[in-house]
Amino acid sequence: EAGPEAVDGLQRLHLSVAATKYPRKLDGKFVEQLQTVLCSPKSPEQIQVLCAAILREMSPCNDLVLSCDEIQDTKLLSLVSSVLLAQGSRGEVAAVGQRVVQGLERRLPEGQSARFLLPVLANVISLSPGSLTEEQTNVVSKKLADWLRYASIQQGMAQPSGGFFSSPRTKQPAPITEVDGAVATDFFTVLSVAQHYTQDQWLNVQAFSMLRNWLLCGLWPQEGCVSGTPLVPVPATPGRLLPPRERLRDKAFAYCQRLVEQSTRRPLKKEDGDLQKACLIEAVTIMDIICKQDSSYVCRAVSCLKILHSRICGDATYARALLPIAQLFLNHSKQAAVDSDAIYKHLFSDIPALLFHNPSLAFEFVQFCKDNSQLFTDSSSIFRQSFPNLFKFLAWNSPALISEFVDLLPFLLDPGTATEIFHLLLDLPCLTAALDIQLRAAALPVSEKAGADPAGKPATCLEAFHHPLYRSMFQYLLRSRAAPEDAPDSLVPLRQLLGSLAGSPRVVQCAETVPVLLELFFRVVAEFADGSLINQLVVLLLQRSDQLYDIPAFKEDVVLGSNLAMLCGLRPALVVELSTEILEFSGAVSNIQSKEAIFTHMAWAVGEFLSVSHDKRCTVEQITRFFETLEAVLFEITQLRPQASTPSCAPRAISVLMATLTKLAARSQDLIPRVSMFLSKMRTFVQSPAVTSVYCEEDLEEILIRATELMNLLKMPSVAQFVFTPPVASTRFQKEVNDSLPLALRMVTQLLEPAAGSMPV
Amino acid sequence: MVRAFVLLAPGGPAPCRVLYARTFGTPPGAGPGGPRQRLRRKEQLLVVARQVASQCQLLQASLGRPSSPQLPQLPDEPVSLQDAPGGVFQMSPGDPFPERVTVVWLSVLALAFALVCEPQENLSLAEITLRRLAPRLLLSLRLLGPGADVLLRPDAADGLLDRLLPHGQMLFLNERFLQAVDRELGLKVSR
Repeated sequence: EAGPEAVDGLQRLHLSVAATKYPRKLDGKFVEQLQTVLCSPKSPEQIQVLCAAILREMSPCNDLVLSCDEIQDTKLLSLVSSVLLAQGSRGEVAAVGQRVVQGLERRLPEGQSARFLLPVLANVISLSPGSLTEEQTNVVSKKLADWLRYASIQQGMAQPSGGFFSSPRTKQPAPITEVDGAVATDFFTVLSVAQHYTQDQWLNVQAFSMLRNWLLCGLWPQEGCVSGTPLVPVPATPGRLLPPRERLRDKAFAYCQRLVEQSTRRPLKKEDGDLQKACLIEAVTIMDIICKQDSSYVCRAVSCLKILHSRICGDATYARALLPIAQLFLNHSKQAAVDSDAIYKHLFSDIPALLFHNPSLAFEFVQFCKDNSQLFTDSSSIFRQSFPNLFKFLAWNSPALISEFVDLLPFLLDPGTATEIFHLLLDLPCLTAALDIQLRAAALPVSEKAGADPAGKPATCLEAFHHPLYRSMFQYLLRSRAAPEDAPDSLVPLRQLLGSLAGSPRVVQCAETVPVLLELFFRVVAEFADGSLINQLVVLLLQRSDQLYDIPAFKEDVVLGSNLAMLCGLRPALVVELSTEILEFSGAVSNIQSKEAIFTHMAWAVGEFLSVSHDKRCTVEQITRFFETLEAVLFEITQLRPQASTPSCAPRAISVLMATLTKLAARSQDLIPRVSMFLSKMRTFVQSPAVTSVYCEEDLEEILIRATELMNLLKMPSVAQFVFTPPVASTRFQKEVNDSLPLALRMVTQLLEPAAGSMPV
Repeated sequence: MVRAFVLLAPGGPAPCRVLYARTFGTPPGAGPGGPRQRLRRKEQLLVVARQVASQCQLLQASLGRPSSPQLPQLPDEPVSLQDAPGGVFQMSPGDPFPERVTVVWLSVLALAFALVCEPQENLSLAEITLRRLAPRLLLSLRLLGPGADVLLRPDAADGLLDRLLPHGQMLFLNERFLQAVDRELGLKVSR
């Protein structure tokens, strides 16, 4: 019946059921048979496992008649439970829970171990926290406390191998040892070592493994899996045992304290070192939960962890444990009246700079920041001031952390940090390159480090790291704390030096995250920025537009242009206030080619906002000055015979410049004849042979149409003025205006040049 | 608790494939019942697999490694996990699971292993668990040899998970306990 063919058949059946996501119908009788075979004590284990796998794969299953009530074998109970818990039915989950608690309560039959029941229970309370009664949770809590505290402290015996040569002598059981080989002098924990383990020692491991979950979700009363509902602790009456909940906390706390002590021993087996750290993290986390549930534990926890912190803070391999320690202090130190600033300072100032390249630590650190985002609202705090350090995590581990930083960035931004973060974001890929060099420099043998000749120029990035020419720039880029005043005059030399790393995959991955962050940056800053900050950002935008790290796609993707327009829309008066800077920028003809998007948006903004209705200080002289500057640029780029030195630019730039000049002329009507003459020359321009070879036909046609529309508009100056100076009250963004302007132009053109038969006479 | 375990082939140029997936219980009332629940489960796991594959490829690129590593010559050669790339990322609520989850993953040769964990789970332990599951799965499923053995041997995978990740419960097993587990499973894992 149950031979290898059956195994083979079941395996194939499993594959065919699992391979598709669409429902496969199995015959109801067959499903029933699967269940029978599963539960039959005669079935070999492999067959049972396969039946369970198929039934799980088909879940939810209508034809399920499985029940765990009759099953005595704990391994089989665990297997059947896995099918029942897959059904997604609260009733089934509760039924499994009841049965498992029953199994734990009673004495199990010979040869059965409760070891296989605890994970089922953990799954039950995780899926459906309220499925046990108060009495049942008390039973479990009591057992857990016993297993945690009173497991045997002697090693188990090997399974008797039997046979002719087995020794009749009963060997004396050896005591358990610590991971460093010392004989254990206290109770058994997961960090206790033995050649063979007893059943209750297994239960100790299982109990600790599910302890955190149980404390959060299993204790009674419970309203879902809330982390640390503060329940009123029941004080111990002398002479009587604590109630189960309080007793479990007491044993659990002692267990955690013991783990803290055990976790800094030097393990004989290297792999145990990893487990020590995981245990340490778990122990501190559980202590935190216990403190939240019963504040009488806070003092003990805090003093224990202060000692621990001083032991491990210098050891980079324990760095991940610093996070739950800091969290516990954040949650409770006020109560314990303890000064924990040194802990936070070490965590935020030193750890990111040292361990940014550890992806797990990076992730957990950023999670910590997100979980404690309220810390960042205080702008003078160590947390907020450490943002340069935090960005190192992102610079190095961009794909994994970008979505976390999208959540975190808003908390780091305020009027005090905005400009510095703006620079930081634009230089983020640079930071990646610098971190790479820092790592490589640290890995060099000492002899090589002193090799650079300070008088000459460094030959490689690595040499430059310590070179006096570049050292302070590197230091600034790699700083740990916010330092707006310490910014060097320019990082341009450093960016150029790091150009050799611009193609490295890690740098490129980082560069890809910057556009998203910049968009978010401007969105958030727009909400709180005052006039002075907006002005500052506009000036920086114009400055930085050609001081970008030289990664090919980076310069295009970083959309500074539209954000510039947005800022101008927020505060139109800046066009007047920053007229010097804007004139300088707009007047440089080379800008139209090298920074086309920004130039175009800037020109648009000038046309849109340079008017008396936006700022009373706008004078005719200013309008004329802007006009002349932009007219010169337009003249330069629309020459009939472009020279080699003539910058080429997108047709859109030409259109925008024409529109802007027209708008300005509409406000200062002396300029109208100049614009009209210019626009009338555009026909010649688009038809000139040298030009038609550069631009495509549709683009040239578009330019001509636009020029004509604008010219026609200027024939009716009062209408033009109205069209080009919308009421200040409308604060819609430029997209709408841009969309409505061509429409308005076309309407007016149609009025002026009626097509045959289409207009009323 | 761990919500699911996924074993996948990240592909490179090829699309990623889920070779084996195991969920540990279905949260009641979480969504539609019936066949749609199963469909949803499958699709959620595929979304996880794709994200793991993407992170894996990006990490390989940033480490300067080829995206489709060569399999070792001999199927029994011990696989070193020393430099095995891995990572951790979060998936937001609703995409694809109703609640937030954290995914811990490890890549060995042309395969990847992932644990889908509840938030606030002990990620250090998750990484340890993955580093234990990977070589044992490679061994008992003979994943390095030719043939698609893994697809036809869910019992072997289940057996391993039942010991090292029972019902999604990660275990704090020190090396000696791990040896005991290997003895129970009849595995000879090189140390």
